[in-house]
Amino acid sequence: MEKRESLWEAYLRRGFSRRSFLKGCVALTSLMGFSTDMFSKVVEAAETKPLPVVIWIHGHECTGCDESFIRSGAPLASDVVLSSIALEYDHLLSAACGAPFEAHLDETIAKYNGQYILCVEGAVATKDSGVYCMSGGHTFTHLLEKAAKGAAAIIAYGSCAAYGGIQAAKPNPTGSAGIERFVGGKPVVKVPGCPPIPEVMTGVVMHVALFGTLPPLDGDGRPKQFYGNRIHDTCYRRPFFDAGMFAEQFDDAGAKAGWCLYKLGCRGPETYNSCGNLRWWQGMSYPIQSGAPCIGCSNSNFWDEDPFTDRLPKYGKLGDVDKIGAALGVLTAAGVAGHGIASIIQRNSRENLIDEEHHE
Amino acid sequence: MQHVVVDPVTRIEGHLRAEITVDETNGTVTDAISSGTAWRGLELVMQGRDPRDAWAYIQRICGVCTTAHALASVRAVEDALGISIPLNANYIRNIMAATLTVQDHLIHFYHLHALDWVSPVEALSADPVKTAELQVAVLNAYRLNLKVPEEVNTEAYPHDFPAATPQYFEGIKAKVQAIVASGQLGIFAAQWWDHPDYKLLPPEVHLMAVAHYLEMLDKQREIITPHVVFGGKNPHPHYAVGGVPCSISMTDGNAPVNTARLAIVDRAINMARDLVNNYYLPDLVAIGAIYAKAGRVDGGGLSKTRVLAFGDYPLTGYKGTSNGGGYFDNLLVRSNGVVENFGNGVANATFTPVTADDLKAPENFTEGVEHSWYEYPDNAAKDLHPWEGVTKDKYTGPKTGTATMWETLNEAGKYSWLKTPKWKGKLCEVGPLAHYIIIYTKAAKGLLPDPTWAEQLMLKQIEAVTGVVGVPPEAWMPSMLGRTACRCLDAQLAAEVNKFFFDKLIANIKMGDTATMNNEKWLPETWATECMGVGLYEAPRGGLSHWVCIKDGKISNYQCIVPTTWNACPRDDQAGHGAYELAMMTTHVAIPDKPLEIAKVIRSFDPCLACATHIYNAKGEEINIISTDPYGR
Repeated sequence: MEKRESLWEAYLRRGFSRRSFLKGCVALTSLMGFSTDMFSKVVEAAETKPLPVVIWIHGHECTGCDESFIRSGAPLASDVVLSSIALEYDHLLSAACGAPFEAHLDETIAKYNGQYILCVEGAVATKDSGVYCMSGGHTFTHLLEKAAKGAAAIIAYGSCAAYGGIQAAKPNPTGSAGIERFVGGKPVVKVPGCPPIPEVMTGVVMHVALFGTLPPLDGDGRPKQFYGNRIHDTCYRRPFFDAGMFAEQFDDAGAKAGWCLYKLGCRGPETYNSCGNLRWWQGMSYPIQSGAPCIGCSNSNFWDEDPFTDRLPKYGKLGDVDKIGAALGVLTAAGVAGHGIASIIQRNSRENLIDEEHHE
Repeated sequence: MQHVVVDPVTRIEGHLRAEITVDETNGTVTDAISSGTAWRGLELVMQGRDPRDAWAYIQRICGVCTTAHALASVRAVEDALGISIPLNANYIRNIMAATLTVQDHLIHFYHLHALDWVSPVEALSADPVKTAELQVAVLNAYRLNLKVPEEVNTEAYPHDFPAATPQYFEGIKAKVQAIVASGQLGIFAAQWWDHPDYKLLPPEVHLMAVAHYLEMLDKQREIITPHVVFGGKNPHPHYAVGGVPCSISMTDGNAPVNTARLAIVDRAINMARDLVNNYYLPDLVAIGAIYAKAGRVDGGGLSKTRVLAFGDYPLTGYKGTSNGGGYFDNLLVRSNGVVENFGNGVANATFTPVTADDLKAPENFTEGVEHSWYEYPDNAAKDLHPWEGVTKDKYTGPKTGTATMWETLNEAGKYSWLKTPKWKGKLCEVGPLAHYIIIYTKAAKGLLPDPTWAEQLMLKQIEAVTGVVGVPPEAWMPSMLGRTACRCLDAQLAAEVNKFFFDKLIANIKMGDTATMNNEKWLPETWATECMGVGLYEAPRGGLSHWVCIKDGKISNYQCIVPTTWNACPRDDQAGHGAYELAMMTTHVAIPDKPLEIAKVIRSFDPCLACATHIYNAKGEEINIISTDPYGR
């Protein structure tokens, strides 16, 4: 990322004098509605490095990602929004609305050109020139293209911005799609999930704030530290899968004992996310821990891999897990052998994934 | 006359545009347009899906009132299939619903609505010593101490209590000062901070409210933990048709629900009560009293004429809503019905109940598309019942501007992606205000025999607020202020409802009942070939109804009539304006170029536009849809 500069540094770079810088600060002071005794503070602020500027825009979405973001336990939402970033445009939290808000967006884009982080929540409605998603009298497509142009980095928050999301499910009435093709070829950091885990969302921003760089990404643009493991491989119920101990239906003895939910349609074996290791609410739970099979909400097409009650082999690349389950029935006591089979499954899956990436 | 556009309306869910015509000589709004400007088509997505998956899709209509649509969905499918859920499942669902209500109202007041009333700029001139004194005075005067029954109070003392020290407020003020001085106003940028409304409150109220804005931003996450324990996550916790997926076991450490997990829920319930009773309610009453005394009780709109609610919190297991089940006979808050003409005084108001049979009668609940970007075929009726709906999108663009670049919308033609829902051909306002007006009217008319503890609490709340604001309920309730106040009362009620059902859950488990699921009709071969159902829920924003038709094991029609559709709908040439439009038209605007009052009155409804914009299946009608996504992966 390009280093951000203070207002004074910007004046220096453009060859303006200290006098014109101070004149600018006078204008800024009155523009912000302050009395003149605030002038020295404005000068001081203009000389120091500003916070990373974030512009957060909304397409076809449900605001669940915003809501998840403010549920973050560490960092706390107030610390992020007031001390780590300057959230200059966001439909959920921003005080302003209407024309002055849209004007502020344009000013922010111009003032921090090439320096701001663009966060996008929601899909792009592509059908019929984008008329199915209008904001400020313009299409969301128009807004996205405008905001992407000057962005230093673009974060696609949630499965909608990353891949199209729930509104892209068949028959996809509005032609909804992920944002990648509408950002002028810029790389997109994808943070999928419906919604993503709160600390994963703030974690990406914290990484930028703490280390000054984007976090390392995988081939699909996802931060490796959060999407490097399948839920299946980090699931606390994994030993039951390996031992062939499954809940056969909701609330049976196996479900009460916390056995594996694979036979109820769990998508954990094909889903890359932090639900198993970070979990939700800093370790409190995740759907499987609460007895609900994973629906694979961070996968690129989870919405059309239904019915969710269907077992995975129909969609996944695990091979016939039922056969493995049968084999495990014989080998229940032989944990080592079971682990060996599971490892083979995992390796096959990873190879398939690499094939997919190569294919793309 | 001046034409003013507010687009986007922010601090809401989704995409909303408002246009008003103001007489600048006297601040009267002569016409108003409320337009939902996005359409996602989720109900079309429901076609042909497994009804047991419906909750997972339709919940994703909205992440702000997450859980609301999942709950209405499982109730609709269970009504259609004739499934009754176990007691524990009913209690757990009620706890999740009431938890949502408390948390959603709290976030609405502090993070979506407060900045219409208070300003960080005004807070800069506050004296921290005086603010601490104010905090003490507010807690003394406005902690409405309303006792409710409880089995056992597990909280030793109020853990979450507002700080009332000058040093604390000094720190908050210093942070606000630093933000303002930095020139990076962030979320506080570009608002009309110089609007005269912000001068109504003394600076110390502004500083206290800004402090609580920040505190609640951090604490709201801790009161939603029942969703995380019972549903695995939030937003969008998991549900199951026939019960809840979280099994209960007192013998398995791996079980989704055991004593340690219930302790997390208990803590969240205690905390929610503290936050509402010690922060939200006193803050609301402090601000509201000043506004009421200044005579600011405008923006009532449709609430003076007609309000609708469905009631909620089934006390025990029940079997359905519309198929002979006992849903309406079994409610903790019996607000199911319509009150008309409350604005003329409770004596002149009338009450009409909503019953299970009413849901099925085609004339009672309908939607029209006169001013919506949809069309009905020539031979169809003007308004259609949700189970018989015929819909096709028909975007006509704006009055001036182009299809993709609007100047003004066409009030004489189509102008919104919301439909116009009707009760007996008439428009209604829904929400906590409606809920409270209905209970108050029923009680006044002797139509509330043996009031439940919850209904009694509601009446006591109304009495307490009436005492503080000094005007009768018919004056303060149907107004912008009353809408915001009743939401707070609803949060207090929901916090107690949480405790009530938690106690019931514990007592039931103690009796040895750990069942959470009824699997009898889990398999599609046990279902009727064709069936229909309705799922109701008195959601945070008002009466929500889901309507499902199931054929050959798949969804053949799915329709939601959502609170924000009732409130934000476009006009109807016969029935008149919807609640948003009428609220705007009954609100005084001081400065047409800075229509803070318009944004404020719209936000008093807690808009949720993603919920509201939808279409449903064209039954027997071809829908022009693309079959493949050109940008799909």
